Amino acid sequence: MFSRSTLRLARWTQQRPLSSPSLSVLLPQRACLHQSAAESQPSASPLETSSSTPAESVLPPTPPQTRADVPPAKQPIAPQFDSPVQVTQSLLETLPYLTSQGSHYISAHLHDRPYLVTEGDHVRLPFKMPKVKAGDIIRLNRASVIGSRDFTLKGAPYLDERLFECRARVLGVDAEPMTVKEKTKRRQRHVRKVKSKHKHTLMRIMELRVKTPEELLAEGAVVMEHSATSPRIEVKA
Amino acid sequence: MPVQGIRAVTAARNGVGAFILQCKRLDLHYCDWAGSSRGMVAFLKHQLPAFAKENPQIEIRVSPRPHKHPVLRGHYINGREKAICVRNLEPEQILQKANLLKEASGEKLKKQKKPVTSLNESVRGIWSPYHGDLKSV
Repeated sequence: MFSRSTLRLARWTQQRPLSSPSLSVLLPQRACLHQSAAESQPSASPLETSSSTPAESVLPPTPPQTRADVPPAKQPIAPQFDSPVQVTQSLLETLPYLTSQGSHYISAHLHDRPYLVTEGDHVRLPFKMPKVKAGDIIRLNRASVIGSRDFTLKGAPYLDERLFECRARVLGVDAEPMTVKEKTKRRQRHVRKVKSKHKHTLMRIMELRVKTPEELLAEGAVVMEHSATSPRIEVKA
Repeated sequence: MPVQGIRAVTAARNGVGAFILQCKRLDLHYCDWAGSSRGMVAFLKHQLPAFAKENPQIEIRVSPRPHKHPVLRGHYINGREKAICVRNLEPEQILQKANLLKEASGEKLKKQKKPVTSLNESVRGIWSPYHGDLKSV
């Protein structure tokens, strides 16, 4: 726990000089929501050497990045990746067809269950998600299919999470009506009644966006040879 | 006369832009005399200020209800209300019930089989036999 919090604090101090102050002042809530602000940084960059000095004692604490009421040590950690996202040349050529078409759908996976959603959809999960509060924003990063009216981007089996952005807002917790099931044993008059009243987390898909090739290349995507496991775009028959 | 589209009223989709908590008011009723309100009185004295400070968007009303069991009642934006009798409960249990009322959507409890409900029209459209290429059998 201690190592995680120190890592987070170190990363937080690292990222501070990168984020432009005007943006973080204007958009305190959305400042850390975008992945471009949370890219993995090369360890030999001059920025890190400058921030490797004991910065915590010198720098005053900045306002938290995503939620003001959450202390900085408990802010969500931006994902760190070992390698840049790899795309094929054919994907780069066909991706504009998908991104330029209007509305998109995504088959987002949560605990290995697919949820076919579009932007603005209401999702009632079949379980109660632990450690979330109403108003939290969750980024769904596991998807198998993203599509528009005529084009579909299919992963094998899943898409790289850096190809798209899908966010959901937690609305609250709901329950289902209590159900009573009667359990009986043979040759006995006794009937056992089992009650169940499950809770469900409610979510709303607040954002769904497929990144354009320009964004991918700007974030450091690497063009690679075509292989069987690379994602590809299919046209509706 | 020009063709006019069907006029549609925008439907509220809480959470897409702004997020508004559905619980707008919490009524707490207690009795000074009865023993079933002992936990409720302790909750009002010690835990309610912190709860109210955490949730500034919820209006909190405390009122006596003599010779009756203590009740928590949540009022929701959709006009419904939920009441929970908290007789003989400990303050921690009452706090759990208050959190339950806070996070609830206010809708009537329903069994739901499909997890996703959508107001958007189908992204890929409806299948038509007259469009698309011919399939050879």
